[in-house]
Amino acid sequence: MYLKKSKSIGASSPLNGIGKQDWNSRRKRKVGEISQALSVTPVDVAALRRMAISEGGLLTDEIRCRVWPKLLNVNTDDLPEKLAEGLRENHKDYHQVLLDVRRSLRRFPPGMPDDQREGLQEELIDIILHVLDRNPQLYYYQGYHDIVVTFLLVLGERLATVLVEKLSTHHLRDFMDPTMDNTKHILNYLMPIIERVNPEVHDFMQQAEVGTIFALSWLITWFGHVLSDFRHVVRLYDFFLACHPLMPIYFAAVIVLYREEEVLECECDMASVHHLLSQIPQDLPYEMLISRAGDLFVQFPPSELAREATQQHSQQTAASTFKDFELASAQQRPDSVLRRRRKEQAALAEQAQAQAMVVARPRAKRLIRLAVMGLTVALGAAALAVVNTALEWAPKLDLQFFP
Amino acid sequence: MESSLELTTSLPGTCLPPPRSRIFKIIVIGDSGVGKTCLTYRFCAGKFPDKTEATIGVDFREKVIEIDGEKIKVQLWDTAGQERFRKSMVQHYYRNVHAVVFVYDVTNAASFRSLPAWIEECRQHSLGQEVPRILVGNKCDLRDAVQVGTDPAQKFADSHSMPLFETSAKNPDDNDHVEAIFMTVAHKLKSQKPLMLSQPLGGEGFMPMRKSEEEEEKGVLACSC
Repeated sequence: MYLKKSKSIGASSPLNGIGKQDWNSRRKRKVGEISQALSVTPVDVAALRRMAISEGGLLTDEIRCRVWPKLLNVNTDDLPEKLAEGLRENHKDYHQVLLDVRRSLRRFPPGMPDDQREGLQEELIDIILHVLDRNPQLYYYQGYHDIVVTFLLVLGERLATVLVEKLSTHHLRDFMDPTMDNTKHILNYLMPIIERVNPEVHDFMQQAEVGTIFALSWLITWFGHVLSDFRHVVRLYDFFLACHPLMPIYFAAVIVLYREEEVLECECDMASVHHLLSQIPQDLPYEMLISRAGDLFVQFPPSELAREATQQHSQQTAASTFKDFELASAQQRPDSVLRRRRKEQAALAEQAQAQAMVVARPRAKRLIRLAVMGLTVALGAAALAVVNTALEWAPKLDLQFFP
Repeated sequence: MESSLELTTSLPGTCLPPPRSRIFKIIVIGDSGVGKTCLTYRFCAGKFPDKTEATIGVDFREKVIEIDGEKIKVQLWDTAGQERFRKSMVQHYYRNVHAVVFVYDVTNAASFRSLPAWIEECRQHSLGQEVPRILVGNKCDLRDAVQVGTDPAQKFADSHSMPLFETSAKNPDDNDHVEAIFMTVAHKLKSQKPLMLSQPLGGEGFMPMRKSEEEEEKGVLACSC
């Protein structure tokens, strides 16, 4: 019951011809639900998170302009005026940023006139330097520009600036330390996730000593660096913006697991496996993989994996600041917190049950878990748990089973 | 990326036996933007890439070449230039390396001044003088913008017992030249490692060459252009 076997679930993707009618009506309904969630006061952020995760994500860039700020709890009423001039030459990262942005041609839509693209590249440099200048604790990394360009293309310069700043101090915080030790630590979650779902693939990769660097650019650019179709990139951004900061590593694991057969057929050495995995297929069934990643997050929350991800978290990781962030955005609608808590309790009970079944027989763990969780946790229900889980209740869960 | 996870490995015997053709693993390092990706792409694909982007982490390219009737796989590991990546990310890829290519940009003096730091980086990863190393000055086609002349570069190369090549990954006239650089390294590896294992096993398979051999050949590969 490994991931690959259930590939056909992906057939219901919006791009599939059959069921197009059906998708159109669901899409229309979804647009209505999003408008509804946006129109209430305060905004129903929990519903927006569900929309961002569920099939098709936020659908259009117009909707993204309205919803992404809510997902990041950014107030769009007082956007900054024109960005400060004269930051450029003085900034320590100026040359690196310039170098990376000037050669990031592929991130812009094919067919865009050169002068328009060049204008956007200048804005991109401005946004990056603005955020870095205001947050001296943050360090630029190659790949940060791949994230910022996505926000720029969807939101325009002013809105992108405030959202990127928020994202940089939260979801991306760990990647922006002076060193990449925390990034490396997050990559250490990858193999434990893979092991739980498919020990054979895990063992093969360990034997090949492939390491995890093949997934580095996936993680620190939220796949913006490796996916050529912009629609896929923004769809994933919907998902990641609505989720825990570690979700990209679950998504990375899901991609590896989806390619199980290719991996196992590969020559078992570092170069071959690295080469295979770092070439990401462009026709992945994104909706199915997103839902899988959500499932895996619920089944194997970060707190459960932390003991295996070797280095210990410092208190400053994004994973630890996420709780505060989540609470702050939830306060836009206090009653939703209560509703959510109740659902969490339900999800918790369900998971506890699943775990209880497997604790006694660890070798059968993966199979039972996938069967139980795969059937019972539909993505819609999982979404709430995905968004809110790990940090609040998972540690307690751990204590329960691992005294 | 070594971690205790990797110590918990795995079922022995699940892997295929090592391939019979020999593999030469070469790591390419140097500052951001000096053209490491273009050089490796040029060698492996035979042309200059249209658009290259920042390398994040490590990219891998390979090419099968033939020397004296023997097929050899040349694996090039193209690394990110930004300093933060080399500190904690790239070291995994220094393992079992057979040769190192240092790259600087002849139009960027800072990239030349960084070379001692890159050499130190190698030393810290236990890649000493016994591992063949070459120095490549890239972007020679930009004649009007040259900041690093051949003389100081040659001096530097000599002082570190490395041959120097000045080239351009872009200029089509230099196509053979890029090819020639990597072929030279491959020839050197082949002649010095007649008994090298086809595939380094479990990290212990690499046998460093004797130092004396390396020193005898010092400077032999140098070329002027």
